[in-house]
Amino acid sequence: MTVIKHHAYLFDATRCIDCRACMVACSVENNIDMDKTRIWVAGLGVTGEYPELQRGTMVYHCMHCDHPDCMSACPVGAYTKAEDGPVTYNPDLCIGCRYCMNACPFGVPHFDYDKGIIEGAFIDKCTFCPQRIYNGQEPACVETCPTDALEYGDREELIAKAHARIAEHPTRYIDHVYGEFENGGTSYLILSHVPFSELGLPNLPETPVNEVSEKVMEMTIPFALGWGAVLTAVTTGVALYDNKKKAASKEKAETTK
Amino acid sequence: MTKTISRRDFLKLGAASVGALAVGQMLPPMVAKAAKENGVLNAAGDGVISTMCEMCVWRCGVLAKIKEGRVVKLDGNPEHPHSRGNLCPRGQSGLMNTYDPDRVLTPLIRVGQRGEGKFREATWEEALDLVASKMTEIKNTYGAEAMVFSSTHNLSQPLFENLLYAFGSPNYGTQRSLCFNAMIVANLMTYGMEEPARIYDDKLKYILLTGRNLLEAISTSETSDLSHAIDRGAKVVYLDPRYTKTASKATEWLPIKPGNDLAFHLALLNIIISEKLYNRPFVEKNTVGFDELKKEVSRYTPEWAAPLTGIPAETITRIAHEFADAAPHTLAHNGWRTSNFVNSFHTQRAISILNALMGNWDVTMTEAAGEESGTLGAPPQPAYPRVSALRLDGVPWKYPVVPFKIGVFQELRDNIVSGDPYPAHGWFISRQNPIMSLPDRGKTIEAFGKLDFIVTVDIVLNDTAWFSDVVLPEASYLERYDPLLPVGDKVFLRQPVIEPQGEAKSALWIYKQLGERLGLGDFFQYEDEEDYLRQQLAPLGVSLEEVKIKGYAEAPETPHAAESAEKSWNTPSGKIELYSDTLAKVGFPGVPTWEEPPQPAEGEFYLLTGKVATSTQFGTQNNQLLHKYSDDPRLWINAKTAASLGLVDEDWVEVKSSVGQIHTPLLVTQAIRPDCLYMTPGYGHISKGLKTAFGVGASDSTVHVTFTDPISGGQALSQTFVTIKKA
Repeated sequence: MTVIKHHAYLFDATRCIDCRACMVACSVENNIDMDKTRIWVAGLGVTGEYPELQRGTMVYHCMHCDHPDCMSACPVGAYTKAEDGPVTYNPDLCIGCRYCMNACPFGVPHFDYDKGIIEGAFIDKCTFCPQRIYNGQEPACVETCPTDALEYGDREELIAKAHARIAEHPTRYIDHVYGEFENGGTSYLILSHVPFSELGLPNLPETPVNEVSEKVMEMTIPFALGWGAVLTAVTTGVALYDNKKKAASKEKAETTK
Repeated sequence: MTKTISRRDFLKLGAASVGALAVGQMLPPMVAKAAKENGVLNAAGDGVISTMCEMCVWRCGVLAKIKEGRVVKLDGNPEHPHSRGNLCPRGQSGLMNTYDPDRVLTPLIRVGQRGEGKFREATWEEALDLVASKMTEIKNTYGAEAMVFSSTHNLSQPLFENLLYAFGSPNYGTQRSLCFNAMIVANLMTYGMEEPARIYDDKLKYILLTGRNLLEAISTSETSDLSHAIDRGAKVVYLDPRYTKTASKATEWLPIKPGNDLAFHLALLNIIISEKLYNRPFVEKNTVGFDELKKEVSRYTPEWAAPLTGIPAETITRIAHEFADAAPHTLAHNGWRTSNFVNSFHTQRAISILNALMGNWDVTMTEAAGEESGTLGAPPQPAYPRVSALRLDGVPWKYPVVPFKIGVFQELRDNIVSGDPYPAHGWFISRQNPIMSLPDRGKTIEAFGKLDFIVTVDIVLNDTAWFSDVVLPEASYLERYDPLLPVGDKVFLRQPVIEPQGEAKSALWIYKQLGERLGLGDFFQYEDEEDYLRQQLAPLGVSLEEVKIKGYAEAPETPHAAESAEKSWNTPSGKIELYSDTLAKVGFPGVPTWEEPPQPAEGEFYLLTGKVATSTQFGTQNNQLLHKYSDDPRLWINAKTAASLGLVDEDWVEVKSSVGQIHTPLLVTQAIRPDCLYMTPGYGHISKGLKTAFGVGASDSTVHVTFTDPISGGQALSQTFVTIKKA
């Protein structure tokens, strides 16, 4: 078996038959409560007017971003981006603030509103099945897929595979691998025959949102120090001027006495 | 409305029952003990056991992950040709059938009125004694034929057949006439075999699917094969009044008018024969009746078929050309039900013949291996008693070409109601739910009312068990052994991966116990399930222990006749019969012939049903995992039609046929013909013993009208016409 440097998924919307085996497999493998899920179906489904129709659906779970916004937003460091791909969440550190839910551009982290702080486990999302991938198995969702719509492997290899597939069938696919660059790159890569927006995917810039926000945040202290210095200088200047003025007027008053 | 439990709870529930059994009876958990001895489970009871799925009839290989005596995950077995490492959503959810909180875990005897659902728990001794005494009483009073037996096809079927044939009843009901009788009988009449296997190799170029919604009605390996063929660029032409998920992946979707698939196929035959596009050497060498066929189809031009099918003549002509151009790497898929009209037999014959004309035998189609392997052993048994009574289902006296093992289930029910040619008095039902499966539910309940005694074997209190006098709890497929299944050059084993919960027992055990009480012990000459399997394996020289570890044994296939040898078919002529003398002799047309299907009257609609990936017929709606991921059942209606009737999405409507009415919310969609409605079958359960499924959706069987194809005995499930109005 080839060594995987960066674990990733490739989803091909032209192959997905929306059977939901992946969703059931995930639920069982990860012991998900009956009223929760870590995989969703997105997309417009059937579009067009009878009988000129097409269909586009996508299954998705955590995109395991290279620059995870959840992690960036988390004030307590409950999220970790592993060097080999997975974005993991540590419930023990979580304080239930739900900043990650607002930060994630894909709406992945879900909050468990049924549980209190004492019962723990506030946020739920895909773990990348570490119990499987580090034991020579594919993630549960991938392994069961009867049409190979979901594949698993090394990110670089999957990207190459995706481009090769587009090259082989240029009329079948939109000439783009979603997630190769979006938001700075994700580990859930998507091929599609319909515009990605019809699969429910956001149009994201290549520069990750958090790269911008983090840069801004990094400037906070220098900015504060600089602005502080300016203000100090101004205050000092004003005070000096004021003193000078006061002294001058005092002098004037004394001379006019 | 629906109570759900968390998976953690159901795992606990499973553990509690196993624990209760182990402690209460002081028995060591046999499955775990044996698995540990074989090295499949470690000392803690963790590991992986190989078995086979039973969430549908495809029987994928399954690797069951066991943790502390509980099954926690099922994965597809990469070594099994039916799964190749994959499972569909039903397969993935299989453990929830086993851990269903509604499982029946002890024999039940009815105490209230029939249909009231009041039962008391009983011991196996008491329940089996009662069943045997009632069956004996019926036999002694009215004759063995007054006892009806029915079961949906499964691996323990040979023992079920032993029970009924040894008992001496001719009345054998299966589910097949509600499904694929037309296909089976058509292939028997054409090729002399029930269903040829299909070959999806890299060269396959063209696939014609007639209502075979293979990407939703999942047969894991074949669904995978079709999907990969599409991916490679094979052309798929798909006929269906509905834009299904298969339609969305097909190269070309033809929303054909229901009931007229026959016209489409007759027109294809017309072009292929008149333009001499067939494989002449193959046809001359391997078929009989070409001239009769040519004569008959000469009148079925594409121009004739166009107004019937709603498909332009030039499209039909083009498809005929493309189909023939791709030969022999071309395949017309028989499907299971095709259009589901009373003319479906002819449609199926036309499809079978279309393949024969292409000379695609051993290229895209070949002989199927079948479930029986000549290499397996079997316990000895005496000959069955001679039965002279007529069958209630009209085979063969009304349906002369329908095989005995297939039967005409709906006719059996009708004749229980009419009491003609004689009244039935008892019904033994095994893992089958005729209340839900047969058309016209009201009539099925009426048939139940005619009977003195009804017994049902199942894992839950299904709708039929709800109306029964005795319910015998079967062990689920993850809890029991079944007879071996040959697939290719291997035989696969279904074995228990956990201990049976409560008092649940395998069918092998139940049939043997009953057989012995009925004085038919000679037909069940095995000590227990393992002994039965050892007798099966004896000629292979493989130990059961070895098979339990690997999940299968090598069993050399009966070699195919060498390619150079003269190919022969198991038909009266020894050839592929384009014209069937067998059919002609009993008064049916010998070649496929046009039969005008009935049409809905003004204001009526075709009511269509069809499968979805998340359920198998009416047997999986109580599975909480499938319930979780299934779409809510709604009645599909074309957007334009809805607008013209002043109806909007999610409106509740009353749907009425000549036999019943239902209430259901609407799904307004572009994905269906304007003259059709569609509902997912299998919903609308009436047993309150199914707490997840009860009250969810409406029942197709309530409104389905019984129409039987006179040749194949198949129920015409799409021939029901309905009116709708806002509820």
